[in-house]
Amino acid sequence: MAEEKAGGDAWDSTQWHVVQKGESLWKISEQYYGDGSLYKKIFEANQDILSDPNLIKVGQKLRIP
Amino acid sequence: MKKGFALIAVVLVGLMLVAGCSRDKEPAEAALKAAEAAVSAAKAEAAKYVPDQVKGVEDALKAAKDAFEKKEYTQALNAAKDLPAKAKELASAAAAKKAELTKSWEEMAGGLPKMVEAIKSRVDILSKSKKLPANLDKAKFEGAKSGLAEITQTWTDAGNAFKGGNIADAVAKANAVKAKAAEIMTTLGMQAPAAAKPS
Repeated sequence: MAEEKAGGDAWDSTQWHVVQKGESLWKISEQYYGDGSLYKKIFEANQDILSDPNLIKVGQKLRIP
Repeated sequence: MKKGFALIAVVLVGLMLVAGCSRDKEPAEAALKAAEAAVSAAKAEAAKYVPDQVKGVEDALKAAKDAFEKKEYTQALNAAKDLPAKAKELASAAAAKKAELTKSWEEMAGGLPKMVEAIKSRVDILSKSKKLPANLDKAKFEGAKSGLAEITQTWTDAGNAFKGGNIADAVAKANAVKAKAAEIMTTLGMQAPAAAKPS
């Protein structure tokens, strides 16, 4: 689920995704890029909160580059 | 006898009018010089920021000059004497508009590169994708890519216009980049930032 950032910098162009039940980075990558194999791009953009691409939690806010 | 008095009266009134007008010649000349100097000092900057107001002041100056040429010195004096104050108002209006445009430029100069960078990042990734996401076909993606090249160039042009002192042109170009960038983001399924959404 895409989420708009509220408040803060009105020019912030970071794209966010809130993890839903049953989602994986592969699935999220398919949603935004059409290609699940590009999931590493999302993993790399979220290394401050993710240590393993297979471990994402429901409700986590991920940057989508 | 009566005719003689009437003729003398007419001549006297005529002489008084001529004397009155001639009496205003020097003050009118001085007022015109002051008006020309004031308008000239304000004009260059005002033409960049409040061109519509410049025309009004220039027209008033021309009317004063025309009256002087026609030896209508009192009229010329009356037309010219208020012009330095009007030129001052013009300079103030230009300064206010310049400040407004500069503020607008500074906001966009801080924000637009973030939009362009986000679009570039997404375009780079989508260019590596084996298949495009839903709601994005090849034609739309190609349009977004050429749009990215266009806004990158326009943004460079805007920066050059600002460096060259043409703030109004810089802001116009930056606004065009903002609108186009928001359009591209929507095409790519991205959220445009709040500052770029139409008000």
